[in-house]
Amino acid sequence: MHITRKEYLLEQKEKGRRLMGVFPALYPREILWALDIVPAEIWDPPLEIRQAGAHLQPYICSVVRLGLELILQGKCDFLDGFLFPHTCDSIQNLASVIYDFIGARKPCYFFYHPKIPHGHTARDYYLKNLKALAAELKRQFGPLKMDSLREKVDMGRRISELLGELYDLRAARRLDASNEAFYRTIRKGEYLFPDDYIAELEGFLTQTRSEESRNGATIILSGILPNPPQILTLLDDLDVQVGHDDLLNGSRRLLISNEKPGDPFEYMAECYFHMPPCPTRGSSISDRMRHLLSLINATGAKGVIFNVVKFCEPEWFDVPNLQEELKKRGVPSLVLDTELNQGLSGQMKTRLEAFIEIVRVHRESITTKH
Amino acid sequence: MTYFAGIDVGSLSTEAVIIDEDATMLGYSIQETGADPVRAATEALREALSLVGVSREQLHHVVATGYGRINIPFADRKITEISCHAMGAHHLFPDTGTVIDIGGQDSKVIRINAEGRVLDFTMNDKCAAGTGRFLEVMAGTFGVPVQELGELSLKAQKEIPISSVCTVFAESEVISLIAQNRPREQIIRGLHRAVVSRVWGMAQSVGIEGAVTMSGGVAKNRGIVALFEENLGHSIHIHSEPQIIGALGAALLARGEIHQK
Repeated sequence: MHITRKEYLLEQKEKGRRLMGVFPALYPREILWALDIVPAEIWDPPLEIRQAGAHLQPYICSVVRLGLELILQGKCDFLDGFLFPHTCDSIQNLASVIYDFIGARKPCYFFYHPKIPHGHTARDYYLKNLKALAAELKRQFGPLKMDSLREKVDMGRRISELLGELYDLRAARRLDASNEAFYRTIRKGEYLFPDDYIAELEGFLTQTRSEESRNGATIILSGILPNPPQILTLLDDLDVQVGHDDLLNGSRRLLISNEKPGDPFEYMAECYFHMPPCPTRGSSISDRMRHLLSLINATGAKGVIFNVVKFCEPEWFDVPNLQEELKKRGVPSLVLDTELNQGLSGQMKTRLEAFIEIVRVHRESITTKH
Repeated sequence: MTYFAGIDVGSLSTEAVIIDEDATMLGYSIQETGADPVRAATEALREALSLVGVSREQLHHVVATGYGRINIPFADRKITEISCHAMGAHHLFPDTGTVIDIGGQDSKVIRINAEGRVLDFTMNDKCAAGTGRFLEVMAGTFGVPVQELGELSLKAQKEIPISSVCTVFAESEVISLIAQNRPREQIIRGLHRAVVSRVWGMAQSVGIEGAVTMSGGVAKNRGIVALFEENLGHSIHIHSEPQIIGALGAALLARGEIHQK
């Protein structure tokens, strides 16, 4: 598929589908799909901040800043509504700024999910909010047929299988794709309707599946999203592969459940509570650490890069503890404090390259010992 | 005889070091980087080769480091200054466990192992606070050569605290203090303390272990070194020409690569 995101969305609109601007990160996409709504996720639009600064404090992350700028510049006028999941306080308050203060002149929806990733009450709360959102969307966008919802749940499941296969192949070094190409493809799920995304992922799998194992150093990439993209291209230039990620818009959203879909709402809840740990869902440090270590073991990665968006509170609260735990286990880690779409300064490049030099020496010394 | 060169293209100065196959440093050159890093690197290498009487053809391998490393066309390999300063400091002072490098536009604290390899590091990457450039701007404010700042600082019996290490804010604070007729030496000592506190704070994130070696142009400033030693409670290794440690490390890594092959 060689058309831009905007062209694709306008094409979908012409087909009669509705378009929903969705802020990060976790939301029941199957419900939107079943209502023939295309979710267009808003993470990091490539814009210069001109107007958003007037409405936000300086110490707010650039996901929020860029999202507001996108609306203020009139670049969302073709959308039919907005959905704000309660990912963090900043996105929650952005919803207020847009809905209560600026006035979005479009329907706005809010999706609250529990901040405790386990327990019956959390599950009940999640199910209640899933159904409440479905009811609200139904009022505006027409009937929600259960058959259609079941079909979209199956498609979501297929997407997860394909993504899981791509991640597994990459972890086993049997994916012949650059870091940049991998995330360019994965991120198309931020706006493609499921049938198109499935076709995209299947095509990418066919093109990149490799019988030969890749060599070279491997790292784990943690954080919100792979931006600035120059991080990926620099890793490609250094012949370093991201073996796995712990990214909010990457593997942290992989819906993993071995259960067969029965009731679609129950299944969506099941998936939510089986997602990998994430600070935006209130996961504990020990769960996150266990998960990171499992990714390191599965890929043979020799280091972890925390690429943290500046002022992203949920991420920053955990990073010092995770770094300390990794250090105790002899795993090198690097923290990059980045602004979206701002590229990498010379010093940032130096830090990243120096970290890779450490990882390589670490890898060589382990190889020598064995 | 086989020779190796290391070139460190920094924001303010560019250094070239030539070593032989026994890792003996034969000579070096220091040039101002100016607006043309490639020209500075070419000139530094030409002068260093000329000083030691070695031709370009006799050089087996060249490693470039420093912020300008990416553009040096005649380098066989580019390695970050973090690894190069670590290797250079280890070669000169084998008991080094921590390297403090304060260069023109950044400061780094590097923990190294017994082979001179980097274990961990930290560096500032947002602004010039606590760097050589900060001191250069302050020297300009006082109208004294930057080389004299250290000695002036050592003359002060007291110091006037400077509340910011932001180059812009500190400069306006210094201008106010000058206007109040406060003793120049005491203000300068306060500025030195601000730089040391900034780097000291960074150092806590990686920890300071083993003997400490200081590299980079700011290591020539006796006032800064004295304040670091005061914090540490013991002396710091300072080479007679601390500016060349990155380039020396690059040359050693160039030699190491050939020996590994």
